[in-house]
Amino acid sequence: MKNGIKKIIGYAILPLMLAGSIFAGSTASAFADAPYKTYTVDGYGSVTETQTAYLPYKTITKIGEETLLTPTDFTLVNDEYIYILDSGNARVVVSDMDNELVMTFGEGILVAPKGIYVTKDRTTYVADRDAKAIFVFDKDGNLINTYTKPTEAMYGEAQDFLPLKIVANKSGTMYIVCESNTNGIVQISPVEGGTFLGYFGTNATSANLWTIIWRAVLTDAQRAKMQSNIPATPDNMAIDDKGVIYTITRGENNDTLKRLNIAGVNMIETTDFPDIPAAVAAGNHDNVFVATQTGFIYEYNNDGDLLFMFGGSDDGKQRIGLSTKVEAIQIGLDDKIYVLDSEKAQIQVFEPTEFTAYLHNALYFFSKGRYEESKEPLGKVLEMNNLFTYANMAMGKALYKEGDYEGALKYARIAKDGDGYSDAFWEIRNVWLKKNLTWIAIVIVLIVICWNVIRVLHKKKHILDKPKEALAKIGEVKLMKQIGYMFYFMRHPIDGCYGIKREGRVSVLSANIILVVSIVFYVINKYFCGFLSKTVRDGSFDLLSDVGMILIALLLVVSCNYLMCTINDGEGRFKDIYCSLIYSFAPYVILTPVVFILSHIVSNNEIFFVQFGNLCMWVWIAVLIFISVQEINNYRIGETIKIILLTVFTILIVALLAFIIYVLWSQVFDFLQSIIGEVVYRIGS
Amino acid sequence: MAHKRIGKILSALLASAVFATALPQITLPFGSSDISAAYAATEIDGHSFVAESSGYRLYMREDDLSIVVEDKNTGAYMESAISYDDGKNNASWLGAMKSAIVITMINGNDDTQQADLINDDVTINTTKSDKGFYSEIYWNKYKFGLTLNVEIDENGVKAFIPDESIHEDGDSYYIGTIALYPYMGNSYLDDKSGYILVPDGNGALIYLDDKEGRFKSGFSGFIYGTDIGFDESDVTTLLKDRYNTISDSEKVIAPVFGIAHTDDGIAYLAVVEDGEARASIECIPNGVSVDYNRAYAKFTLRKTYTQPTSNNSTAGSLHIFEAERSHSNLGVRYIFLSNEQADYSGMANAYREYLITNGYLNQADDSYNTRIDFLGTERESWVLGTTPVVMTTVDDIYEIYDDLKTAEVTDILSVYKGWQKGGLYDLPISSYSVESKIGGKAKLTELISDCAESGIDFYLYNNALLINPDEKNATFNVVKKINKRKYEQKTYMDVYEKLLFLIPTRSDTLLDRFIKSYTAKGVNNLALAGITNNVFSYNYSGSNYTRYNTQSSYAATVSKVADSTKLIMEQPFAYLWSDTQAFLDMPLYTSAYIFEDESVPFLSMVLKGSIPVYAEYVNFEANKQEFFLKMVESGSFPSFYITKESSAELIYTNSSDIYSSEYSSYKDTIVEYSEKLKELGTQTEGAQIVKHEILENGITKVTYSNGIKVYVNYSLQDETADGITVGSMSYEVGR
Repeated sequence: MKNGIKKIIGYAILPLMLAGSIFAGSTASAFADAPYKTYTVDGYGSVTETQTAYLPYKTITKIGEETLLTPTDFTLVNDEYIYILDSGNARVVVSDMDNELVMTFGEGILVAPKGIYVTKDRTTYVADRDAKAIFVFDKDGNLINTYTKPTEAMYGEAQDFLPLKIVANKSGTMYIVCESNTNGIVQISPVEGGTFLGYFGTNATSANLWTIIWRAVLTDAQRAKMQSNIPATPDNMAIDDKGVIYTITRGENNDTLKRLNIAGVNMIETTDFPDIPAAVAAGNHDNVFVATQTGFIYEYNNDGDLLFMFGGSDDGKQRIGLSTKVEAIQIGLDDKIYVLDSEKAQIQVFEPTEFTAYLHNALYFFSKGRYEESKEPLGKVLEMNNLFTYANMAMGKALYKEGDYEGALKYARIAKDGDGYSDAFWEIRNVWLKKNLTWIAIVIVLIVICWNVIRVLHKKKHILDKPKEALAKIGEVKLMKQIGYMFYFMRHPIDGCYGIKREGRVSVLSANIILVVSIVFYVINKYFCGFLSKTVRDGSFDLLSDVGMILIALLLVVSCNYLMCTINDGEGRFKDIYCSLIYSFAPYVILTPVVFILSHIVSNNEIFFVQFGNLCMWVWIAVLIFISVQEINNYRIGETIKIILLTVFTILIVALLAFIIYVLWSQVFDFLQSIIGEVVYRIGS
Repeated sequence: MAHKRIGKILSALLASAVFATALPQITLPFGSSDISAAYAATEIDGHSFVAESSGYRLYMREDDLSIVVEDKNTGAYMESAISYDDGKNNASWLGAMKSAIVITMINGNDDTQQADLINDDVTINTTKSDKGFYSEIYWNKYKFGLTLNVEIDENGVKAFIPDESIHEDGDSYYIGTIALYPYMGNSYLDDKSGYILVPDGNGALIYLDDKEGRFKSGFSGFIYGTDIGFDESDVTTLLKDRYNTISDSEKVIAPVFGIAHTDDGIAYLAVVEDGEARASIECIPNGVSVDYNRAYAKFTLRKTYTQPTSNNSTAGSLHIFEAERSHSNLGVRYIFLSNEQADYSGMANAYREYLITNGYLNQADDSYNTRIDFLGTERESWVLGTTPVVMTTVDDIYEIYDDLKTAEVTDILSVYKGWQKGGLYDLPISSYSVESKIGGKAKLTELISDCAESGIDFYLYNNALLINPDEKNATFNVVKKINKRKYEQKTYMDVYEKLLFLIPTRSDTLLDRFIKSYTAKGVNNLALAGITNNVFSYNYSGSNYTRYNTQSSYAATVSKVADSTKLIMEQPFAYLWSDTQAFLDMPLYTSAYIFEDESVPFLSMVLKGSIPVYAEYVNFEANKQEFFLKMVESGSFPSFYITKESSAELIYTNSSDIYSSEYSSYKDTIVEYSEKLKELGTQTEGAQIVKHEILENGITKVTYSNGIKVYVNYSLQDETADGITVGSMSYEVGR
């Protein structure tokens, strides 16, 4: 019943939201197309365009007759009041939703306020950097409390208290971002006039392997000169109804956006993070919004998957919805986005489009695990955009829960959702196996019977003599023999090398044929293997560079190896080295078809077999190469290792040389072109 | 503020003193203009009487050639120079505010210096006639000159500079741009109520209220779009350092702008008649640099550009200007309107009349059709080269039409895209060779004739501008920018990364070839794109060609094509309107500039009743209902982009931006829209929109010449107008 009501409300809001775009009260508003594009990411993480997700709704430039001066923060309270921190005028301006002035307060108390937070019962917390204090006002604007630097030793004696941003939870515990305090978010409880509870959500410092090695090598003095490796202070934060804290920190890559539980542990990770985040806000559907200083707005679902990116910087053409310097973002109960621009001294309001409303509806059901109900809004979303990754992924999951595995497979493939695809594939295969198991058994039994019958007949009447003879004849052809030598070579590499070197068991032609076959197998396996094993994007082909790379690599390896061997008493001729290298890839030619077929019939549960098969194959190839280098040149093990290392080194040198020549030539080319360009211009004019 | 008011009162007193004798004529009945002439004021704000027509009087000031146009019947007038100086402006601004002509000069690398008639050493020889005056102007220091003609007729005034009169004799100063009467119809802050009509998208208004200095710039739009022959120098902040999130602003489709002073009951619509292809329209509200509202046309004669001397962009480059100026007459016609016609509806009516009288707009069949476009084939990469992705075959189209017929949707216009061999981007199309995957030539030809019989307008799509260098040899006949670098249009897609532009003569040749082989099959319906909405400067085999060259080439090509085919065009520019049977892809919105206060369907008002106007595709609109009401308001017909297969198939093609197009998801919408809009379309067939107004309660009321009234309510609650209650987000039709 409750679900039903929620749904009805959801749909009832839709037309209201559309209609809302037209009348925006007293402030500047013209309903129009958005001047910015909206982007989302596809299954591979590439940015793609989608429908407009949010349209500019109105711009608030004045509260009553009051104008703002570099406002830096604001809070939306129950969609009834907007508390704007008018920093330039060191006061708090309270507006109603029609931009009429309700009151102002804080004049004479605030010095350089930077952050504001207002609770549902309209208690106002202001973080004032220069006053080095948190001021708390009641709902009539009277100062009721002031918190200054914590006296607890744990806070740090030398640590200054320069509060920038603040939020508070239901019990009144304050979370404060302080300037140049790298320990994390300062957590202060209101008891006993302010008790420091500790630091919260500290960012981790990162040290990669390279830095660790580097630091180990350096002296203390050198280490001191290195850029210090201290954690970054969060730039801004937000709190949702459940008391979960969101932080944003620039330069933290995948940890730019964090959702911290009560213990300060991050619960999401996003791969599509903004570069210069300015503010964060929690949405009404377990979604999160991040605004960048440059005016882009990112919306994520509760897993940190990117849904939309839109907005942009005003390039001076002054189009609606573009920003100059964003400082704060808030989300209304009706999903409108409010963005505060300190340089333009305005709040830009965006409203969700029909498309986004459906998506939010689906998000809500989906995050609650109500897949059945989420299907309808998801269907609407997909009708409007067949390629919307999140909707495809969610639809795949919803269908999977329903048992429509074919459908689930289709949507998971569009969304490039490997896990979803694998699950659906497993079920489909399972069903197929169940259905066809009898038949498979019968076919196997039949084959065995046939085989035995043929064998018996052959014993009695020699019916297989003729085919056997024919096969043997083909086997006798010299080229076939040479190619067939591959099977012997991979099992007996030492003897095999002797055969290549002394007995002429192979030819360049046979090696070339194996090379061509390998390349063909490589290409087929690369582009047409099963979805779960695929390493390239669906639909992208780059044959020329594939083949080119293989041939260039081969040429480099063979010639560099030959050069090194000749000056190191190697016995191998160029032809031997070439042939033995190619024949060392025999396992590839034999196993790739198996891997290829396997890749089409395994799900993620069994993909281990494919990976293991691959691993075995490459180890085998490596061993073959090693042995053939050793045997062809008649080296000992130590020499072989030396030669292999030398070959690698030579390849690097050749590559470097090629690069230098390329750079020099392009310089010369550029120079000549400049001269010609200028001459042509001078003559032309 | 106070001193301004006093100034205003003083000037009003002065004016009334001068006017004393003229006042009685205001109340005189029509047709007595010969009598009222005798009572004409001899001077307004220092401007002396020059000439008059049946409706207007022209006054002129000798030293700056500024003019005043007075409506004989109402006595209201508009001035081309400011009459009140708020004392905040420096000499060069004052020069610009009063001069008839303001020039920006090119001197070496500097292209910002101003030359006007006040601050510079100028020789002006003015000759007056009974129609107006002409002045030979010469800037002695800069050594260039021109002749300005101003003539009055029964509808207003025309200002005109003949091309041959422009001469540059020096070798250090050259003319960059010429602004003609840049303050025509100006007003100070909110002294006048009214608005500026901006040719942005379908049309927009900037109200003449006090903008309180909120805006840093006004509207500046190159007529017929920006010039790809010159590189843009915009600095934009990119998303992830890669994606430009800001969409291109709408092109200026028609060379018009206007100012209405609604309290005085006077307005003008300005039509840039000559030299419009290389002119921009500037509509600037008060608070941008100065506190005056103004709108004008600015003609470009020369432009500076960067000439790289190497392929490496960081290596050498020269900053130079065009050696040869572009040649064209320059002229703006100001059509004046009075009383109840002095609003944007009046401007639309006047423009329509102007177009029809001059033969720039012909009557076409404007009966209702739902536009259902189909995509035939696209291509995606495959192991070697590309492989076709078949989206809608000829048989599919038959099937869709049959299906729609059972749902009683029969009035259909279709444009078939990607029908040609090699798919949508196998461009250019030089012969009628049809992709076999969609059914082949015979089948397609049969479809076109079958459609003609069953009353469906079926057109083949041909973009005659683009060439795909991956499919066709694009070594010759492609457009180079003025700096002699090949122009490449980046697609940001996977299969074909760039497309090039064909030079106009090549487009003409190929189009000619295509039409010959096409019409030989007895069919001739053509939807033309590309050359219909692009005009550019370019360099080809050593010579520079201006936008005027391109424009006249295209005009000739299109008029030739129109003779042998039934032609419709994609978003055609105003100079092509006389040749099209329909206007496809009409923008219903504006570019959303913050200084625009209202969007009005100006172009739709002009065209409705003459040629059918089809909106942009419904598919890609995020707010479907609002878009639907916009179509109702502007009298546009709906457009759908349809494929039989799911658009997910297009994911690896260059059309991956078509994220929604499957017929099965759109059928219901097509049926619903067709039913509603057909009813409306039938009622308004052949009728023109004579009045468009936004009522107090927010209802938009559109009045047609046949008496039909359409009320559109975009608001949250039901509203009533003229006794008709209109539901929220809905519309009603009344009489």
